[in-house]
Amino acid sequence: MQIKQAVTSFLRSKGFQIMLGAFALLAIIPVLANNNFFLYVFTLIFVFAIYASSWNLLANSGQGSLGHAAFLGIGGFASALIGGSMSSAIIVSLGVTKMPIGALSVLIQIVVILIGGLLSAGIGFLIGLACVRLKAWYLAMVTFGFSVIASTLSSQLDVVTNGINGFAPTTLVPSGYPFYILVITFAVTSITTMSLIMKSRIGLAFRAIHGNEEEAKMIGINTAKYKLIAFVISTFFAGIAGGLYAYFIRFIQNDIFSPANSFLPLIMTVIGGLGTVAGPIIGSIFLVSLQQTLALPSVVEMMRSSLGAYFPGVSNVGPPISYLLIGIILVLIVIFSPKGLAPLFRKLLKYITSEEKTKETKKQ
Amino acid sequence: MDITAPTIILTLVWGVAIGCVYILLATGLNIIFGVMKLVNFAHGQLLMIGAYLTWTITYSAGLNAYAAIILSMLVVACIGVAVERLTFRRILGGDKLNEIFVSLGLIYIFENAAMLIWGANSKQIVSPLAGLSLALPSISITYDRIVAVFVVIVTLIAFGLLIQKTKIGLAMRATSQRNSTAMLMGINVETIYMLTFAIGSALAAVAGGLYGIIFSFDYQVGAIPTIIAFAIIILGGLGSIKGAIIGGLLYGIVEQLATLFFGGVWGSAVAFAMLIVVLIIRPNGIFGEKGE
Repeated sequence: MQIKQAVTSFLRSKGFQIMLGAFALLAIIPVLANNNFFLYVFTLIFVFAIYASSWNLLANSGQGSLGHAAFLGIGGFASALIGGSMSSAIIVSLGVTKMPIGALSVLIQIVVILIGGLLSAGIGFLIGLACVRLKAWYLAMVTFGFSVIASTLSSQLDVVTNGINGFAPTTLVPSGYPFYILVITFAVTSITTMSLIMKSRIGLAFRAIHGNEEEAKMIGINTAKYKLIAFVISTFFAGIAGGLYAYFIRFIQNDIFSPANSFLPLIMTVIGGLGTVAGPIIGSIFLVSLQQTLALPSVVEMMRSSLGAYFPGVSNVGPPISYLLIGIILVLIVIFSPKGLAPLFRKLLKYITSEEKTKETKKQ
Repeated sequence: MDITAPTIILTLVWGVAIGCVYILLATGLNIIFGVMKLVNFAHGQLLMIGAYLTWTITYSAGLNAYAAIILSMLVVACIGVAVERLTFRRILGGDKLNEIFVSLGLIYIFENAAMLIWGANSKQIVSPLAGLSLALPSISITYDRIVAVFVVIVTLIAFGLLIQKTKIGLAMRATSQRNSTAMLMGINVETIYMLTFAIGSALAAVAGGLYGIIFSFDYQVGAIPTIIAFAIIILGGLGSIKGAIIGGLLYGIVEQLATLFFGGVWGSAVAFAMLIVVLIIRPNGIFGEKGE
């Protein structure tokens, strides 16, 4: 009943209109830009926006995971492997040589990504069971440990996963604009769902637990249950992001379990603003565009010719310099602006708009 | 590798040597936790900086590697003070997640700065004892590993004396028990925090120097030892120095045996499995404090 109420009130709310508007806007932007690089960067931004938002939801319940790459990887491998076997079954039954692209393949794509999410959530549930009793750094270590174990298991079960050398998932939705639409559909629905959850009573319980677990327990919140719920929801969306990621970059390998992938959503969320809906998205836009710009051949060449001489031991100076700056930004944000860049932008916007208003009033 | 009696003995000796390096790192992490109630996840990066500094001093000044460790210890202690004053002091007592975020930021800063300064290729510190080994019947042990064990023992004894016999140690112990009462007793808690961080960092630097002599290392070397040190102090109990020593030796031996029997990939996975099992059964570690 509450859920129904929440949904109906949401459908009428400004938020939903913004969501629809956002979807329309996002769908149009790449058409206007008409540039493959922009399309690539935009798609990646929204894949990581889902991933960072899932981390944000978990952190909102006071649980800081350092091993979310485990779920990104599980979702990615599950959807890529299942998608592969499903499409090969279809190829055999239809007697064709290649997977036909059409409504069926799009449906399969959506289904396998959801399956990847569900499987990730299932494993997330089991790991969550172990994690609900743990606090701050213990949890951080254990989740990190699970990502290492996941990577080890994936290489031990290489016969099944084929993760050591990696493989390309079967194309189900053609790359480029169609895949972009798929990603923003998933992104808009996932992020909306997560923000709805965070605004609901469940989200309130998460925030209460984050604020003070003992007190939350005292006012009658079943903290273990809500922490587990947060874990399952978060790992579900992380798995979805993993599926989209694998199909988008057309490659999956054990590298997906790397610590760098575990730290990425944390950095995005903290830089963008912990506990806010916009935070992970802003962080994703910031980090992905930075990374992709620095990976451009012309930029790499420019960095090499201008800065390479100072750092002879490094072949490409862009990434280390940018990560050094990201580390500094992260520390500065935690110390000076704990809510991230999002409130900073808002303040700036308010400042600009209020200035315009005062100008207008002066004119009058 | 064949599993025979000599290889097992050799593995045990290696386990003890590598365990000693972990003990130093774990002790540093532990003292910082004990006094400040803070976990610095970037502790292993101080090991990495210590290893690089020792390498630089040995390579450019031609100093004996073991003497270079002492110099790098001082420099890393200063870095530790800077880190404490500029970052951790400002977030102490707040949301625990912030400690993780700041540590992660520091990891990125240290690793990438090291990569820019020293390059991406791996290095090894040239020790005056390089290539020499103690030949026993059917096994041989490099002298560097034996020296490493001695250095660790000497460092730990010095550290123990500092904690147990000096006024600074007394103040540190008082602060670790209850910082507000320590403050009432006229202890400058902030100075103690700074000193604690400096000592912890210096221990990490020694660990780094020894690690760099025994193994080759690169800018990413800090990550895994941090986690191992963390596993050790969870096994041995947060705040307990004896626990860290027992835990460190146990860990070093288990890791080496797991590598011998199951192969290299399982080394860290087994360590984590051990950590996770312990934490599931006892969420505060084996001898963990109840309050934290």
